[in-house]
Amino acid sequence: MKSEIFAIDRKFGHMVRTATQSHVELKNHYSPQDIEHLSYDEDIGDPGEFPFTRGVYREMYRNRLWLKSYLVSYTTVAETNKAMKDYVANGLTDIRFTADLPTQCGIDPDHPGAWNSMACGGIPSYALHVYEEMLEGLPLEDVVYEIGMMGSSNYLFFHSLLVAMMEKKGLDLNKLHGNSINDPIRAKLVYNSPDFPTVIDRRIWIDHIEFAIRNTPRWKACVPNGVDPQQSGVDVPRELGGCIAVGIAMVEDLGKRGISIDDFGPMIFALDAESDFFETICKFRAARKLWAKIAKERLGAKTARAMQLKIGVRTSGLSLTWQKPLNNSARVALQVLSSVLGGVNSIDASGIDEAIGLPSYEARMYNLDTQHIITHEANVPLVADPLGGSYYVEWLTSKIEQETTTYLQEIDDEGGIFQCLESGRLAKYMEENRVKIEREIEECSRVVVGVNAFQNEGEEGPINKAIENTAYKVPTVQDRERIVGEVKQFKASRDLGKLKPAIRKLYDDTKSGENVSRAVIEAVKVGATIGEVVGTIRSGYGIHYDPFNQVEMPEFVREAIGK
Amino acid sequence: MNEQPRIRILLAKVGLDTHDRGVLGLISAFRDAGFEVIYSGRYATAEGVAKTAVQEDVNVLALSDHTGSMPIVAESVIKALREHGGEEIPVISGGLILASDRPVLEEMGVTGNFGPGTPLNVIIDHVKNVARA
Repeated sequence: MKSEIFAIDRKFGHMVRTATQSHVELKNHYSPQDIEHLSYDEDIGDPGEFPFTRGVYREMYRNRLWLKSYLVSYTTVAETNKAMKDYVANGLTDIRFTADLPTQCGIDPDHPGAWNSMACGGIPSYALHVYEEMLEGLPLEDVVYEIGMMGSSNYLFFHSLLVAMMEKKGLDLNKLHGNSINDPIRAKLVYNSPDFPTVIDRRIWIDHIEFAIRNTPRWKACVPNGVDPQQSGVDVPRELGGCIAVGIAMVEDLGKRGISIDDFGPMIFALDAESDFFETICKFRAARKLWAKIAKERLGAKTARAMQLKIGVRTSGLSLTWQKPLNNSARVALQVLSSVLGGVNSIDASGIDEAIGLPSYEARMYNLDTQHIITHEANVPLVADPLGGSYYVEWLTSKIEQETTTYLQEIDDEGGIFQCLESGRLAKYMEENRVKIEREIEECSRVVVGVNAFQNEGEEGPINKAIENTAYKVPTVQDRERIVGEVKQFKASRDLGKLKPAIRKLYDDTKSGENVSRAVIEAVKVGATIGEVVGTIRSGYGIHYDPFNQVEMPEFVREAIGK
Repeated sequence: MNEQPRIRILLAKVGLDTHDRGVLGLISAFRDAGFEVIYSGRYATAEGVAKTAVQEDVNVLALSDHTGSMPIVAESVIKALREHGGEEIPVISGGLILASDRPVLEEMGVTGNFGPGTPLNVIIDHVKNVARA
């Protein structure tokens, strides 16, 4: 019998690319002449010094470690409350709220369109009592909360819930700390969010920011978001350029209400940590530098604070694979490391089981521990911007800055980011790059381990199987029926004598152009739901109460607004 | 010449799931394969999708969902198809399909049930196999 000889290929698994994920073509090495155009003082600077390329604080992580944050929201209020407490006990320092998909679209669980997606992705957080139960036993003062949903309605509504809770308890609104994503470009470009058309989004966007500046000054009510456009297809210069252009539009719109960039203070961008390690690091460095210069030179910032950009990271969910989920642990660890090397201020890292379901408890704990290992065993955060001065890193940072600047000029030439949304320019870029990436994956010129290369032969092993089996699963039909029952019961239990005037006030303020935030806060205190707040504001603009045109305006709203 | 009739396929996202990279990729892949493609867009209803499938006389209805709710989505669509006289239309699915949901979907007559990263030719061949005449 002849025994089979295995060929061993020295070239097996060799590199297939010479460009970054965003198609920046790279040389084999970089030298001093590649960064000759950069001056240390003007382009780089010490940490804590303009243009903040190396970080916004002089002491950086020695003084303030990045915030460790997650989106925490499961099917039921009780399990979400318990998860928040468990994660905090293990080192979570910043809780991000989300909600199920119907809530994010601005409808209640008893809406007929809610059923298929109910309690998927989070709690149906339709009214104040849900938040009171969800945050039972957790402090409201001097902790960091973040609101990270989809439509503009959600930021207005959930911030109002927090304010209402604090006012009911007599707490100090100056101590409400956190932020809202509240990015009207992302809401439409990525999600085509159905709650409001862009004309309402743009007004509500500024209403929320203005109210926060005047009443909850430690709440940053706009965080331009590059994460979701990036995950939907755009490359790094367009991710960054989009965020900057949203920031510019915001400062201009705030100016019309007599609020300056110095009143707004430091900017925050939500950026994506992708798998391309150095491109991700350089993106964060370039972002700080770009914003500092634009804030100072274009938007007239006078205070150093208003030139500072803080970065909140969400690691890439898109990079995670359903195949061999154990590999996701390597991906997430590298993305967290690039975020730390890039000097970011908060990190929301994905769970290794996130391509399968919401992260399980154990995946979350592993995730926090990864960050603890990077901090305490690898000693990475001891020195600020440890890669500063690297020929390659400085060159790539500068290259990203240049390409982003070119893109910003294009946005300006068209008349600003809202015009680019309307004309379809933003969607076109997103689509083109997405198709390009898909083609590269199909042709294997972009390798995704376990998907288009290195698929192991044979049965999946027990570790990978176990990860699939432990990911959090969606609610059953019985869970959904129970939620609908609860909502109907809650709605029937309210005092309409109090609710109707509150709805009327919201309707009137919407029509008159008054900031709607206060009216929403008073309405949620007497039981108004997300669907009713959205419907009333829509009605104030003379459009159909229901974003989906499936249900009619409730009788009591009709009576309240005299329709 | 014995030319095969062109396959007409309706791609649908029923419910409020926003993950559309999979379905957008399939639109171009199916067009390249010579299919006639109709896409429901996001936020479609079971009722609307069933009506479109019947009116457009599609050969295959393909559902995409990444919330992990495919059995619930498929059930609502199959019920609506029956109400509109479209029970003959083959239904296939893809997206975030849990291993434990696959037998449930097959029991309902939903085939394919592809996960993320499935090679496009596997999906295209499956459409060709199940397309009704």
